[in-house]
Amino acid sequence: MEQIISSLQQFWQFTGFANCQWQNIAMIVIGIAFITVAILKEWEPLLLVPIGFGMIIGNIPMFPGLNIGIYENGSVLNTLYQGVKMGWYPPLIFLGIGAMTDFSALISQPRLILIGAAAQMGIFGAYLLALACGFMPNEAGAIGIIGGADGPTAIFLSSKLAPDLMGAIAVSAYSYMALVPVIQRPIMLALTTKKERLIRMPAPRQVSQKEKIIFPIIGFLTTAFIVPSGLPLLGMLFFGNLLKESGVTRRLAEAARGPIVDIVTILIGLTVGASTQADKFLTGKSLLIFGLGLLSFVIATTCGVLFVKLFNLFIRDPKRKINPLIGNAGVSAVPDSARVSEVVGRESDPTNHLLMHAMGPNVAGVIGSAVAAGILLSFLG
Amino acid sequence: MMKHRIIATVAVLLAFCAGARSQNVIDLIVSEVMAESDSLSLVDDYGRRNGWIEIFNTSQGTVNLGGCYLTDDRDNLKKSLIQKGDLRTQLGPRQSIVFFASGDSSDGTFYTSFTIRPGSTIYLVSNDGRTIVDSIEVPQDLPAGMSVTKIAEDLKQMDFRTVPQPVKPTPYASAGAHSAESKAQKIAESDPHGWTLTVTSVSVVFCALAILWFLFWILFERPAKQKAKAKDKPAAQKKTAVKGGKEDEIAAAVALALDMDGNGETYAAIAMALHLQLTDCVHDTEPYFITIKRSSSSDWNDKTQNFRKYPTR
Repeated sequence: MEQIISSLQQFWQFTGFANCQWQNIAMIVIGIAFITVAILKEWEPLLLVPIGFGMIIGNIPMFPGLNIGIYENGSVLNTLYQGVKMGWYPPLIFLGIGAMTDFSALISQPRLILIGAAAQMGIFGAYLLALACGFMPNEAGAIGIIGGADGPTAIFLSSKLAPDLMGAIAVSAYSYMALVPVIQRPIMLALTTKKERLIRMPAPRQVSQKEKIIFPIIGFLTTAFIVPSGLPLLGMLFFGNLLKESGVTRRLAEAARGPIVDIVTILIGLTVGASTQADKFLTGKSLLIFGLGLLSFVIATTCGVLFVKLFNLFIRDPKRKINPLIGNAGVSAVPDSARVSEVVGRESDPTNHLLMHAMGPNVAGVIGSAVAAGILLSFLG
Repeated sequence: MMKHRIIATVAVLLAFCAGARSQNVIDLIVSEVMAESDSLSLVDDYGRRNGWIEIFNTSQGTVNLGGCYLTDDRDNLKKSLIQKGDLRTQLGPRQSIVFFASGDSSDGTFYTSFTIRPGSTIYLVSNDGRTIVDSIEVPQDLPAGMSVTKIAEDLKQMDFRTVPQPVKPTPYASAGAHSAESKAQKIAESDPHGWTLTVTSVSVVFCALAILWFLFWILFERPAKQKAKAKDKPAAQKKTAVKGGKEDEIAAAVALALDMDGNGETYAAIAMALHLQLTDCVHDTEPYFITIKRSSSSDWNDKTQNFRKYPTR
């Protein structure tokens, strides 16, 4: 009998109850909050559900040394986590993004591409703020990329520049991507007048298949020659798009935008979530990263909207003016930020549809954030 | 067509070969040599102080040294074989390894069958036994305890040059390691507030996307606009001609209608028709909707239609 009690006492030491700390509970609550928001509000459910559940998995209190934790070499979670740590997953996601993105909106109105560049100011604004907060330049660069509003790019760059901060950066990036409608709307309304919100843009011209095929090749050559360090992301993005547009690789394109991207999204979400172990995640630095991440989104949106207003000053033909409400779409967060442009635009004029126009800067933002990541990698990597 | 395919295949193969080359023994260099030891020199596994040869891997991939040769004789390139099958001969990226010139290669994997004489040249030979991968000349007057070394000022460029003066030996240390400070540390010193990097990076992002804009504008948007303009011109001319030709007829019809029936409704109808005509608001494009009005009495797909018809009398 005593032996049984002793065994049970020993077993108790292995249970989560015996090893539980308040930090674990806090992280589990955050994970449940992510799942709740994803299900009830439908904010980025494809990402927040895996991340939220990953947070719960990663924060189950356990006895160390069982070789099951995400930071224990050779464990299942650790093996899956290598895709995040070594940066394999983000390029694969970019392959899928390329295979599902229609760049017609950008090709038909190439001038909108500059809005995508302006919105990248969020990255560098956050970089400056992070430096001012005492982060090292490599850490500041990794934090700044949150402003690119692109989860895979944030994971890719932070895995190279500041692996220790990757969990906080990835969770911050995905959280704010989910909160794009909440963050961007008040900024857009504050920075635009009623008259500006009513601007009607000319319908984009129809883009030929030939243009769509040439676009990924030229786009890749131009950006990759300027920023070769962005090669994994840019290469996969444009390759995926070529698969889609070539018309002869339908099966490959379907695989890239379907099963591949789904599998990688599950793995990346789950492992990023699981990497937020309380002892590594609940620190003052993480809170600071969350604050800086929010500011980077604010700066990016502000710069995008203000850039359109500035751009309009140089456009003489009133029919060619750009509605500043598409300025926010320069932060990548495809297609949520473009959807915000549409919704806010329709609040002012229900017949003014901005979605197609906003998709131009939106996809330009994807290219812009990959270029910015490449630049930061070459300077700080 | 076939010729083009062959050229393309060869080009692809060559490209792959070029890629493969970067992780080959050709990326190895003889980075440092010490000919005569002194009392402070490196001690081998047997407690002896010999001359030694350091090999450095300049590539970003792992290179296997097994099967290569070290020699000090131009006429005998296969003088000292580096043993195959020893995992320790796998040299990681930007790593170095030291071979002791004990004069007896049976001492172990990292021992050569010759000793180093001042004034000689040390060659690293590829595993084909013919290709000299790299060499270094040992000065005649190299003092004991000093070495001859190759250093790259910038490890990124991998442009190694032999230092003319004898230097203090640094075995197993990456050549050019004095530039070991990380980029982030350098940036922290040179640009503590981050403004330089920010301005540079923002400029590059804008330039990259502006170039894209320019390319798409010149390649796609401009030709499309020109094409559309060229298409519109004859149509507009035709329209004007038709309108001009009909102007008299319209005026006559209007005058006739007014004479015939001069009530308010007629005036309004004529005014509206003229307004629509002159402001090009008359839509002349049909919606192209096809409407199928199904008739219950139709028996066109009735199965009985396919039955064999029996002759009737």
